[in-house]
Amino acid sequence: MAIPSDPKQVKQICFDRINIPDVNRLAVARKHGAYEFLPTVLSEFDSARIIDEVKTSGLRGRGGAGFPTGLKWSFVPRNTGKPTYLLCNADEGEPGTFKDRDIMRFDPHLLIEGMIMAGFALGVHDAYIYVRGEFLHEVNVLNAAIAEAYEANLLGENILGSGYGMHLTVHRGAGAYICGEETALIESLEGKPGRPRFKPPFPAVEGFYRSPTVVNNVETLATVPAILKFGGDWHAAIGIPNNTGCKIFSVSGHVNKAGNYEVPMGTSLKTLIEEHCGGLQHGSAPKVVIPGGSSTPWLTAEHYDTPLTYDDMMKAGSMLGSGAIIVMDETADVVAMSRRLAHFYAHESCGQCTPCREGTGWLERVMTRVENGQGTEEDMSVLSEAATHMAGRTICALADGAAAPILSMLQHFPEEVRARLLEKAA
Amino acid sequence: MTSLFINDQEVEVTPGTSILEACRQNGVNVPYFCYHPELSVAANCRMCLVEVEGWNKPAASCCTPVSEGMKVKTATDSLKKDRQMVMEYLLINHPLDCPVCDQGGSCKLQDYAVEHGASRGRYAEHKRAAINYDLGPFVNTCMTRCIHCTRCVRFADEVAGTGDIGILNRADHMTITGIVEDALESELSGNLPDICPVGALLDKPSLDVSRPWELTRHQSTCTQCPNGCDIRIESRGDEVMRIQPVEGSPEPWICDRGRYVYDAFRSEHRILEPKIRRDGELVKADWNDAFARTAELLQGKRVGILFSPDWSVEGQTAIRLMRDALFPDARVAYDLHRRDMRPFAFEEGLSMTTAQIADADQVVVLGCDLRQRLPLLMQRLRKRGRAGKPVSRIGAMNYRTNMEISNDAIIRPRDWAAVIARAMEQVRDLGKTAAGFDEWMAAVSGRHEAGKVLADALISDSCALLVGEEIRGHADAAALIYGLDLLMRACGHAEAGNDGRNLIPEGMNTQVLAATFGDVRASAGELFAAATAGELDALILVGSDPVGDGLFPSAAKAALGNVPLVQVGAISGQIGEYAAVQLPAAAYAEIEGTFVNMEGRIRVADSPIRSLGEERPLWKVMMRMIQVMGGEAPVVNLNELRKATRRIMPALAEAADAGGQDSVLIAPARNKKAKALPADGSERFDLDVVSRYSFYREGMWARASELLSEAGRIHALDDVLVHPETLQSQGLEPGELRVKTFLGEQRYRVGVRDDVSPGVLFVAKRGVAGDISDVSTASIDAALSGGAQ
Repeated sequence: MAIPSDPKQVKQICFDRINIPDVNRLAVARKHGAYEFLPTVLSEFDSARIIDEVKTSGLRGRGGAGFPTGLKWSFVPRNTGKPTYLLCNADEGEPGTFKDRDIMRFDPHLLIEGMIMAGFALGVHDAYIYVRGEFLHEVNVLNAAIAEAYEANLLGENILGSGYGMHLTVHRGAGAYICGEETALIESLEGKPGRPRFKPPFPAVEGFYRSPTVVNNVETLATVPAILKFGGDWHAAIGIPNNTGCKIFSVSGHVNKAGNYEVPMGTSLKTLIEEHCGGLQHGSAPKVVIPGGSSTPWLTAEHYDTPLTYDDMMKAGSMLGSGAIIVMDETADVVAMSRRLAHFYAHESCGQCTPCREGTGWLERVMTRVENGQGTEEDMSVLSEAATHMAGRTICALADGAAAPILSMLQHFPEEVRARLLEKAA
Repeated sequence: MTSLFINDQEVEVTPGTSILEACRQNGVNVPYFCYHPELSVAANCRMCLVEVEGWNKPAASCCTPVSEGMKVKTATDSLKKDRQMVMEYLLINHPLDCPVCDQGGSCKLQDYAVEHGASRGRYAEHKRAAINYDLGPFVNTCMTRCIHCTRCVRFADEVAGTGDIGILNRADHMTITGIVEDALESELSGNLPDICPVGALLDKPSLDVSRPWELTRHQSTCTQCPNGCDIRIESRGDEVMRIQPVEGSPEPWICDRGRYVYDAFRSEHRILEPKIRRDGELVKADWNDAFARTAELLQGKRVGILFSPDWSVEGQTAIRLMRDALFPDARVAYDLHRRDMRPFAFEEGLSMTTAQIADADQVVVLGCDLRQRLPLLMQRLRKRGRAGKPVSRIGAMNYRTNMEISNDAIIRPRDWAAVIARAMEQVRDLGKTAAGFDEWMAAVSGRHEAGKVLADALISDSCALLVGEEIRGHADAAALIYGLDLLMRACGHAEAGNDGRNLIPEGMNTQVLAATFGDVRASAGELFAAATAGELDALILVGSDPVGDGLFPSAAKAALGNVPLVQVGAISGQIGEYAAVQLPAAAYAEIEGTFVNMEGRIRVADSPIRSLGEERPLWKVMMRMIQVMGGEAPVVNLNELRKATRRIMPALAEAADAGGQDSVLIAPARNKKAKALPADGSERFDLDVVSRYSFYREGMWARASELLSEAGRIHALDDVLVHPETLQSQGLEPGELRVKTFLGEQRYRVGVRDDVSPGVLFVAKRGVAGDISDVSTASIDAALSGGAQ
């Protein structure tokens, strides 16, 4: 690995090898450090030490919730008489997010190595990667990489003679957004329709086939090899306290160079957009920034300097989420944006909980009317109440995500919405 | 115990209880749609949200377990608004067609809309509609009204075990639907309209005819099977509209048979007036003429008495009193399914409650089509199976159970003794034995491997043995039951407090009947043989149908060709064709009376529905019969009759006096001296005959019900079924074939099914082309039949 051992110099972790041609092939990946440290981990580390290193590293889940990974691993009960499962969440359905895809298609061995290490720490013998249905190419790349890994005894029984064995299987989803929610993912992987389960019990205790299960995001697992190689303290020194390490941001929208950028945590939103993404297409400050995927509340120009950390985004009234930054400049129509997002959530609600099943459709229909200039004054309060009473009242957080764009629109741009309503009157 | 605060009130509940259950147990009203105490938790309606101090968002109380010191609020302003919004969400796609919906008046959605909803909805967009689907003859679907609580889906998965209701699509396109366009194959389907909180699933037979507030409710006991469920009969005026389960009774559900038999109460098959046969026709008569004719036929004659066990205990006492007063030598039969009248080591009835059976370490079902016969006990076993507890079974057919049987064996009925002997050997080798073991085993030459299934289950701390009709109706039943008794003793399952010996009876009240009629009891077959042989002059038949049911239809027909029949009862049935006199007696729902179910549970029905015709309670008919034949009625009112009943069966008095109706159960009889060794006979024919018990067609009540008959037609099978091997071995093809028995030869439509044991002739549909239920063995003769003609 070419990652500097001096944390101050670290610019990226998961994307370290990403530009090396053919690094998806085992021989090339090995030349650049893949699986180099794995034998050491399998022979010299034990479960407790790995979990401790990950805890020390301060790594937080990169899938959206930002839950400390080491802590999650430590919740898994041992000696239950049931197998423990490791599931990699590669569903990557959050609108605006396209980071895991690059890891999988360009450097699949990084993910596989991370999964072997995580599996070893958790006593897992069967692990799965649940890949978004649309990612056919990524599935092919992953399967080829896994086949090579089996060939090289990096997977299967008795990995590298260590006595530890783990099987890894790729499962392709069918394109449902909700299957990125970990319990819906588990249901789907079990062969059922993807509908979230209520908690408790949590997956750590009763997950896949009612057995202890850890579900981690691709980026999270891909960070593990570096943490174990350089130590938890090394990782903890990158970024800022409680928001350590690097993070991949998928930037899209009205910027000049949209794409994936891995930067140390704590880099400001403005720096990312201005220095990495070539700035905005129009104007000097964005009208709207959705910082963590379409489900997170909107930020506006006043938060342009906010550092990209879990905590600062929370303070600003939004969430870092999966790091999918959607930037809208002054040309954006917020009503049209909200309507389009409302359509997405109305389509993707699993239909289980009343507020989400009925509310998402309601919001979409009202928004469509409003966008078409057929709204009424009462629609403002209908939108506000219908969205408010969905959020936090359902089994999973899809309803929260569906409410966020509507509530943000009403909070930040009430005049613009009202103007639309008055169009009709005029 | 966990203590928590609900609305500042400290309460204690068992750890692990949900907040919603804690509220329910403590009388705190929390609204809900999807929760049902008998089903798994779905947590999808979001109506039961509560606030917990320190939590940043409201919690669904149905799926949140209590914790120590938790402070729960159920009625804050914010929750009020949340519930109002849930109501608004639910109603945006609901058709709001309450005026034409049967659920109106007993609808959760309607009630909660009043209690928690806003006065008007703000939804001004298009509403979605949903496609209806076919859920069989009993359940009407109107899916646009559905609120997607998934209670029906969970019911089909967990209670019915059929799993044929599911969810299609997502978001507000989500619809509940049947997987196949076919009748819901469950004998519990009538419960679906009950659990549906809205009008999406409605009772089809009573669709669009009444409103809940027009109905008068009558508590009664169902006598359609020995489970004797509590029922609530709902009538409008004289019309019976529907039968419902009773909340808070031991069974939360009732079966379709008990529920939809109601149309028989008002059917043309009822005997509603006294009738006398004149010139071959039954014609209406007045009571005096009918009794005069009865006296003519019976006075001073040698009679046999046959009655149904389903009459109330009081009615049966009256039969005994009538017999003692008029025919002191008469023998009495009340079971059409028992060939062997020797005393059984353990007599009919359960020694455990169905709840205890479901809790036992092991359950073994021997020779019983439990799903058809006792669907509610089957449901309990299904629930048990879902919890991972084993259920083993041995029988002549792989009877469908809609559950996973953990240990299963299919045998021929002639092998029962070999099965038991094999089990005895196995437990003896483990050091468990009982006096009589060796003698019993020595009497059996063969050993059948299926005995392992039995023995494996017996090696446990508690084992519930459920012995069914294949053994009870076996020609050598006393010996088999004695063998099972020995096994249970050897394994410690025959002690007071841990008695696992359960013999499933044919009908109700069997424990009481054994005491009332034990000394004069005969088999129905014996009575018919005596009548045929000229040893009897007449038969009195009180409410049973030996031509349509039981093991003796041919014998019954022969006997009734020879002697006159006095029929007393509520339903005319197939036997009605033979009656010289018919005396109407009130049906079970039309009387006050005591009933005892197979567990020994006592129920007193005291709010009868009104009789429509001239029928009288059975006891009055019996007393009048004594009077017209010159005797003096021993009892003149119900009170005296009850005293007489208690004299015959003191246990009934004790139980009735004990206060709580379920605190004392009447135990089935045990005969310590009932030693019987298996007869190691060689059979004359090569097939064993087993009769199907048809849930929809068995019993004169069910056959009088058009609703059940319709369902019976949907679920009909071929006349007789055999294993494919049975035909192949003789080079025969399925179709019309001749079956040879000692009664002669009959033509049958023979079907094949590989879940029937090889060597067994399974009589699936009775009375079609004659009946071979009388016989226990038969053969299909290749030389005689060999094809369709």
